[in-house]
Amino acid sequence: MGLRSINLPGIGTKYELETEKNDLIAIFFLKSGNIQMYTLPHDTPQPSVVEFSPGEARRLGTILSGAIMEADRESVEIAFSALSDLRISVHTFVFGKKMAGKSLEDLQVRAKTGVTIIAVSRGDKNVINPPPSFVFQAGDAVVAIGETDQLKKFEREILVG
Amino acid sequence: MEGIVLALFVCLILALITKRLSLPSIPFYILAGLLLGQSGLQLVASDAVSQFLTQLGLLFLLFFLGLEIKPDRIWHNQSAILQSGLIDLQINGLIGFLAAYALGFTLFDSIIVAAAFFISSTAMAVTSLIENKKLLMRESETIVWLMIFEDIVLIIFLAFIGTTTEHPLIILAKILVVLGAIIAITHYGKRYIISVLKRDDELPVLLTFSAVLGIAALAVSIGIPESFMVIAFGTILGTIDPIAFELHSRPFKDVFLVVFFVFFGISVDIFAGGVSILAIIAVSLLAIGSKLLSGIAIGKVIHKSSSSGVEIWSNTIGRGEFSIAIAALYGSAVVSGTIAAMVIVTSIVGAFVAKYSQNLQGAMRKMKKGPPAPALPQVPAPAEEA
Repeated sequence: MGLRSINLPGIGTKYELETEKNDLIAIFFLKSGNIQMYTLPHDTPQPSVVEFSPGEARRLGTILSGAIMEADRESVEIAFSALSDLRISVHTFVFGKKMAGKSLEDLQVRAKTGVTIIAVSRGDKNVINPPPSFVFQAGDAVVAIGETDQLKKFEREILVG
Repeated sequence: MEGIVLALFVCLILALITKRLSLPSIPFYILAGLLLGQSGLQLVASDAVSQFLTQLGLLFLLFFLGLEIKPDRIWHNQSAILQSGLIDLQINGLIGFLAAYALGFTLFDSIIVAAAFFISSTAMAVTSLIENKKLLMRESETIVWLMIFEDIVLIIFLAFIGTTTEHPLIILAKILVVLGAIIAITHYGKRYIISVLKRDDELPVLLTFSAVLGIAALAVSIGIPESFMVIAFGTILGTIDPIAFELHSRPFKDVFLVVFFVFFGISVDIFAGGVSILAIIAVSLLAIGSKLLSGIAIGKVIHKSSSSGVEIWSNTIGRGEFSIAIAALYGSAVVSGTIAAMVIVTSIVGAFVAKYSQNLQGAMRKMKKGPPAPALPQVPAPAEEA
């Protein structure tokens, strides 16, 4: 994998990446602010070209950087590429009878597992950042955030155990 | 003043049309000028205001050129620049000069025509590469460095071509003194200049505008070519913050350059005596052929391929802003007419050739293969084969 960058007068900055299969990808940050991306498979004479606005380029960059790792059932892992290797999982759980009548403080969620409950959905109402005194009912949909291991611990020790 | 307004609104309409059609606008500004001015309807004439504005256009064009020259970057790519550039210079400079001289131009005028003949339009080459989505071609970098080489030649040309009675060494000494002073001021005043550029008020624009005009005025007052000094000034300021200076000078460049082109056309008398219309046509056609010749030579030397040369040619045919600048600065009436025609013809041809260059190369490859060889008669396999 060879990466090469060069500043071309009047045009902008060019980044050129050659893959192991000798396919070529080149990205030009033009002076106009737009970005042109070329791909040239090794067995094709003509490159394919697309031009992005800066906003579009950032969205593509976010995808390529691996921010969206998996879209599991009601679970998303997000990597904040600006902070190296910071990965956070968000998961939605539905509380059963076992949790009814207990408050957030009773459950000691963060102390025991490190997970933070950031929202609760009940019927047609949503509670963002529920206070420690919040009392759960059966059927509450709870949005929890934390590392993958922490969420598993939450499921194991709070929901089941 | 009404003339300027009329000319600018015509250019506005032309700009809208040419952008829509992905055509270069420079030749149409000149054509508009030719139509409105001396060679045409004579509705608009130059006056003191338009002359000042055209001078500003020229100054900011050259300043922009200077900002784009990055000495360290050029140094790192010098072999690529020199190889292609020298081929370009030798072929086009020589053909341009010989053609002009043979057609009856004076020695000095032939040199001017040769220079205008040699220098392609950087603006058109860059726009062509971007708009036709050709930046990934290996030829695109060659073309870019070719434009840089031509810029450097232009700078050297402008430094010494001026009709002056003074000894060249005296001019050189003056230039060095002024350059030294500018470099010293920008070196020791760097932080201050940067702090001004970062402001959100009108100071950055005022600094840029007045600095460019100041350098030009200084150059005139001490007798060195102001065109050269403005380019050099841009190069030196480009070491501080090229993006900021480019940002603040671009509106002036874009607007005043349009005025420059249209009023160049207005003031040109394309039928000025001395050289026939056939000579003008001949120079334009030679300008197209000459760049093809140099393009193919460069393609063979740099990329080992003639079709690369065709690609290089198709993006560098267009003469443009710098050729007109040379004509405006030093051209006689007949030279200006010839160069104007050459710019119009080559840039329009160049726009179409660049767009369809892939088809051209395809056709070229087919021609090279020639008619298919006649099929050899089928020889039956030997029966004895076990």
